[in-house]
Amino acid sequence: MTVPVILFSLVGLGLFYFQNLLLFPQVRLRLVGLFLFYVGLRPSFSLAFSLAVVLGILQDSFATTPFGLHLGAALLLVGMARFCRRRLLLQKIGPLIIASLAALTLQEMGVMLILMLLGLRPLALSDLASLRSLEILATAALAPLMATLVIGLENFLSRHGWHTSRSMPQE
Amino acid sequence: MRPRFRFRASLIITATLLLIISLLSLSLKRSPILEKVEGMVVSLTAPGLHGLRYVGRSLSGVWEGYFYLVGVQKENAALRQRLQEYEQKELRYQEAQHTLARLESLLSLKKQVALPVTGARVIAYDPSLWSRCALLDQGEDHGVKRGQPVLSAGGIVGRILEVYPHYSKVMLIVDRNSGADAMVQRTRVRGILQGKGANRCSLGYVPKSADVKAGDLVLASGLGGVFPKGQVFGKISGANKKTPGVFQEIEVTPVVDLSALEEVVVVKVVNLAATP
Repeated sequence: MTVPVILFSLVGLGLFYFQNLLLFPQVRLRLVGLFLFYVGLRPSFSLAFSLAVVLGILQDSFATTPFGLHLGAALLLVGMARFCRRRLLLQKIGPLIIASLAALTLQEMGVMLILMLLGLRPLALSDLASLRSLEILATAALAPLMATLVIGLENFLSRHGWHTSRSMPQE
Repeated sequence: MRPRFRFRASLIITATLLLIISLLSLSLKRSPILEKVEGMVVSLTAPGLHGLRYVGRSLSGVWEGYFYLVGVQKENAALRQRLQEYEQKELRYQEAQHTLARLESLLSLKKQVALPVTGARVIAYDPSLWSRCALLDQGEDHGVKRGQPVLSAGGIVGRILEVYPHYSKVMLIVDRNSGADAMVQRTRVRGILQGKGANRCSLGYVPKSADVKAGDLVLASGLGGVFPKGQVFGKISGANKKTPGVFQEIEVTPVVDLSALEEVVVVKVVNLAATP
């Protein structure tokens, strides 16, 4: 399990670098979040959990929000992915996009709730709501690319003898 | 199997919730362990960003200076060679001119501030919209300390929030947790400048009777000892007196484009109030 965690973490770090170098601070697509969601949909829970911890801590370290906020948001995404995996039949790309859209929206709302509970002033819902919605929509539209990336990584690992899950075969 | 699975799932959810709550409460108490973890992660990952940014700049230099001229090369090899040289010189000259202009303005700022300062480059931005900060390439080893103000040629950028050995994190004035004593230049009316996220601030606690209008400059009052007195925060972009309560709602737009910062200066004094 160590090699898959390291490889997936490096890809997550790559996405983080890509966003920081090319998109931030003007555009904030949730590429890392989407990546986590798709890893969460795959059979291995331990891989998704470990990846959420690594990427959550990475994002927390670069932000001024209380440490643990991004970690919680990342684990929330994995939780939602596991729920979708068990309850919904996510085989086609349409339902996948809708599921990731719902997960990213719920994550955003969850974070706002945590910030409010912590007594930190969250942005008003009206504030930038359209921009945020657009960003979430654009992120969800990248679902096919992200699904291909995650499956490609799994195939790469299995070709070299490493499996992300021992209990279940590749989907 | 089913009850066992349910038990396992509940256990994982409970443990995760406990972990997150503990981390959040430790973070709110500014736990040194968490700060060390943060510092370690930044120290491990920021050099990659730093390096990639450098490679990106070099590649874009190569792209602009060479590949862009491929069409001209086909027309006349010798002429193209000379043209390419001149183009590259021109680009370098223009870049040098831009850098000179930026550094000159930073130098004049340094003289204007009349306090010990150090230059720094912005190498990364905050990964989320939930806060607004930037990572600088100057840290504890360069004498940067928590609480020091960060300025750019246009005005105030923010203040140092976290310091790591080679890097530091600056909380921008538009961060929702940022607050500073400020005054309107024209009428000397004072208020509290608070970040509103995105690229805006608000000037709070200004009575409705106060004379404030769009276009007025908002400066640091010097009270609180964080930002040097007279440095510019931003311009008033709107004042609304038709609000409930005794205070008016004033929106301030920073004069500095906080989304396109390159070089900044860190004032190496933590408490300006204590400085003679």
